[in-house]
Amino acid sequence: MGAGMRIAVELVAAVLVGTGIGIALDKWLGTQPWLLILFFVLGCAAAFRNVYRAAQEIERQAKERKAAEQAERE
Amino acid sequence: MAGPLEQFEIKPIVPLRIGELDLSFTNSSLFMLIAALGATVFLVASMSGRALVPTRWQSLAEIFYEVIANMIRDNVGSSGRPYFPFIFTLFIFVLFSNVIGMVPGGFTVTSHIIVTFGLAGLIFLGVTVIGIWRHGFKFLSLFFPHGAPWWTAFILIPVEVVSYLSRPVSLSVRLFANMTVGHVLLKVIAGFIALMGIFGVVPFIFLIPLTALEIGIAVLQAYIFTILSCVYLHDALHLH
Repeated sequence: MGAGMRIAVELVAAVLVGTGIGIALDKWLGTQPWLLILFFVLGCAAAFRNVYRAAQEIERQAKERKAAEQAERE
Repeated sequence: MAGPLEQFEIKPIVPLRIGELDLSFTNSSLFMLIAALGATVFLVASMSGRALVPTRWQSLAEIFYEVIANMIRDNVGSSGRPYFPFIFTLFIFVLFSNVIGMVPGGFTVTSHIIVTFGLAGLIFLGVTVIGIWRHGFKFLSLFFPHGAPWWTAFILIPVEVVSYLSRPVSLSVRLFANMTVGHVLLKVIAGFIALMGIFGVVPFIFLIPLTALEIGIAVLQAYIFTILSCVYLHDALHLH
């Protein structure tokens, strides 16, 4: 539950931030719609980067928990 | 019957306007104050005995202390110790805000995205400042994965920067979405009880475990919020 929600939010947030930066820069520089497209793609890439990092984090925690349990048993 | 979204309405208690700004003391401010005061009273009162064999209240406070101390040790390392007071305060405040929101008639402060974004933004800025202060110019190496070929920098650096900037958004949206969705769900199902008459027993039975689950989520989300702050702090202190 916690892990699934975490990954879902991670995925959405990066795309939102990328798109937001694209729209803001476009407005500022008057280059519609090119920076929006560029930063949307970058946002998607960042989203996958985030998910990968979150998954690594969750795996590391699970591994540590397992190790701690094993140490307790012995 | 109250609509499912009415519980999130902000109502001014003491109206106060300064120029263009509306600085009224609202029900949101009131419940933040209650959370802060409640946490202070709980910690001070439960630790006042300082018994070697702890009372129930004292052991509860000690459990919180240990959970956060372990969290910092596991996720940040020994260099995270100076930040214990901040992380602990953060955890206790979010925990109390979430749990007080579960009291009937209570207002959930963390169900407003501006509150969670305020917290997450503060953490983001603080962690960035700590990273720059600790590492200076080398802090920027956070945006380039170690060992990647130099020519990939054109793609990787923008991606990493966007990923870094998305942190406060994902941190705040997660807490806000969990609290809001849970409370709306409880209200909607509670609405069915009144609508269905005698068959309202069915949603009522359903509501009991759901309320327990929601209290669990309130605690879990406070924990996740703090653990992710620890992870961000770790990145700023150790870079890779």
